[in-house]
Amino acid sequence: MTVPAGTISPTNLGIADAAPPRNYWRQVFHDTFAPTAARLGVAWIGVVAVLGIFAPLLANTHPILAKIEGHVVSPMLQNVTVPDVALLALTAWTIVCLVRRCSPSRLMLGALIVVPVAVLAALLLTHPPDVVDYTQYREMRRQGKIQWELMAPIPYSPYDFQRDIPDAELNAPSRYHWLGTDALGGDLLSRMIHACRIDLAIGLIATGIAVVIGIAIGGLMGYFAGWVDLLGMRLIEMFESIPQLFLLITFVAFFGANLYLIMAIIGLTSWTGEARFIRAEFLRLRRQDFVQAAISQGLPLSSVLFRHMLPNGIYPILITSSFGIASAILLESTLSFLGIGLSRDPSWGGMLNQALSAGGTFVWWIALFPGLAIFLTVFGYNLVGEAMRDALDPKLRT
Amino acid sequence: MLTYIIRRLLLMFPTLLGMTIVTFSVMAMSPGGMTAIIANREGAVDPRYRKAIHDYYQKKYGLDKPLAVQYLMWLNGVSPLGVKDAGAGWPVSWRVGFKLPDLGESIQTHQPVLDMVEASLPITLLLNIVTLPLVVVLSIWSGVQAARKRGGLADIGGGMVLLGLWSIPQIWAGVMLVGYLGNREILHWFPSAGLHDVQADQFSFLPTLWFAGGLHFDRGWLLDTAWHLVLPVVCLTYAAFAFTSKLTRGAMLENIAADYIRTARAKGLPEGLVLYRHVLRNGLLPLITSFSTLLPSLIGGSIIVENIFALPGMGRLGVVAVFDKDPQMVMSLTLVASVLTLISLLLTDIAYAMADPRVSFEAAPS
Repeated sequence: MTVPAGTISPTNLGIADAAPPRNYWRQVFHDTFAPTAARLGVAWIGVVAVLGIFAPLLANTHPILAKIEGHVVSPMLQNVTVPDVALLALTAWTIVCLVRRCSPSRLMLGALIVVPVAVLAALLLTHPPDVVDYTQYREMRRQGKIQWELMAPIPYSPYDFQRDIPDAELNAPSRYHWLGTDALGGDLLSRMIHACRIDLAIGLIATGIAVVIGIAIGGLMGYFAGWVDLLGMRLIEMFESIPQLFLLITFVAFFGANLYLIMAIIGLTSWTGEARFIRAEFLRLRRQDFVQAAISQGLPLSSVLFRHMLPNGIYPILITSSFGIASAILLESTLSFLGIGLSRDPSWGGMLNQALSAGGTFVWWIALFPGLAIFLTVFGYNLVGEAMRDALDPKLRT
Repeated sequence: MLTYIIRRLLLMFPTLLGMTIVTFSVMAMSPGGMTAIIANREGAVDPRYRKAIHDYYQKKYGLDKPLAVQYLMWLNGVSPLGVKDAGAGWPVSWRVGFKLPDLGESIQTHQPVLDMVEASLPITLLLNIVTLPLVVVLSIWSGVQAARKRGGLADIGGGMVLLGLWSIPQIWAGVMLVGYLGNREILHWFPSAGLHDVQADQFSFLPTLWFAGGLHFDRGWLLDTAWHLVLPVVCLTYAAFAFTSKLTRGAMLENIAADYIRTARAKGLPEGLVLYRHVLRNGLLPLITSFSTLLPSLIGGSIIVENIFALPGMGRLGVVAVFDKDPQMVMSLTLVASVLTLISLLLTDIAYAMADPRVSFEAAPS
């Protein structure tokens, strides 16, 4: 491209790569993920996600492939659980969509089909035993029944409490247990890898619920304004004055610790931030020409709200939901730490609970590693949220 | 202003009602009755004995009445204005008037809940009253420093450190502090549990130093309590400090480039005066708004801190009550926690109006 002398162009202003004009979203996306800190945050969340998705391949007492008494079998596949299959199917579908560059709506619709089919297939095809015997492989190995085997890198399942091995509890990190063992004899690293799933799922699903409720309530408040807004603000104030942790503890104590219940309650009590943001955006948008045009064309309310207004007001929601995921993970860890949340299911907060025993002994490896995992994940989400906020705030642009 | 405060106080009631109704329905919907818990605790296996216990406690705590009646009875007990003495002949013999609030009796300990709350509330309040000024002073100072050297290495690095501090889970910080600084086997710098030494009631109030054959030192009740409070307060402070400090920086930056600041500098005012009297004064409003979220988060944080450091405060009481499935305790603690939160929100709003005379809560003349 030749530039006539004297005209102002990106090239002779010394801006190197400003070839095509980038649209607003691309600019915001670029500004969000350009800072190194935000990239590191995303990288860590990615690591946690990969560990969670491939957890059965990474930490498993069941051999991936083995020749037992002359037959080549895959105990791992025989013991595969429904969440494993659903998660793998979802990941595979997402990768397919990303490669073929499908639209997000296509991705979601496809996921709604792919995941139930995979779950159904898993329910029909696999027959996991009611009681899983983790000691059988060590027993068979001792008896020489296993000719060869392919083990996962960490040959312990999260629920393998090594009941056949004396003094398996509270072993310091060693060659066999890289991060040591917990108070019941489970391998800490294996439990931490499997906990990635629960902690990521809690963050995503709880915040998803919060976002949906926040958009519904905040959107209506911002669109109708007036007394709907007044009523909604009272509702928001009421929910904000509820001591969230206390309500959560009460719910869990009286209904029993259930992963899905915890997700639902965290979601149901933390939508106020999202609602406030969406309300502010919609109050700003409702007077704008394109919204007035959409209304005057006689479009249905859902179309005006979700097709026309929402895409223009969604970005603040991304910021709050990034911080929201972090605080949901913190809440779940706190619950499990207090001994009210998940106890047998591996979760980072629940492991931390064992670090200080009633007798006053301090188990440093149980304190250090799960705590570090919670911290890094929360930090990662906060870094991403911070970068998004900086990218969107024109006052901070330099 | 007075109208506004009165309106806010009146608006507290629907919120409190909503909160207690939610908690009450959670407990009412919970599977298994209260009486089964008591029967299990008393080891009642014989079905006839279980039945007797069941009937006795159902009657004693009014659990045999409909849920709405149970809730109204609780509400009547709690409110300072209500039915004092419900006679048989409704409503002629009822005496309505002012009375002392009655929070009921704990199913587990059979003590009046009011006594237990009275014993534990001061500890939680002490923890928060020590923490709050610390957070405010520290975060305003560091936020002002960051805004002053905006874009510098200290500002950017400090911002990252603050975000990191904010991300440290309180449970982890508490466990590590107790594990490393309060552990007999590692560094026994601080006590790991409780608010006082075992022999604290024999201490003098102030630290004393005296000669009797040698130099003796008695650290005294005050110093002993302060020493016990160090780790819990650190654990409660750091996250709130990080959060508020970042907000202070942002609030300062909104104003630091304004014309009136340049005028103030041009007048030759000292830098400290410019920063604290002019910039901070104008950036105070968003800060006060953030303090409204600070207080509830501190109350929530004391649940964690009191459990890690074994302080017998409200948070510890709440977790124990929830473990014991003690409905009267849970209801009362929910009420107290909500009242504390609402009062802090109200104080924030009043401070808001005091800090900025332009803010008016009166209805706009239309």
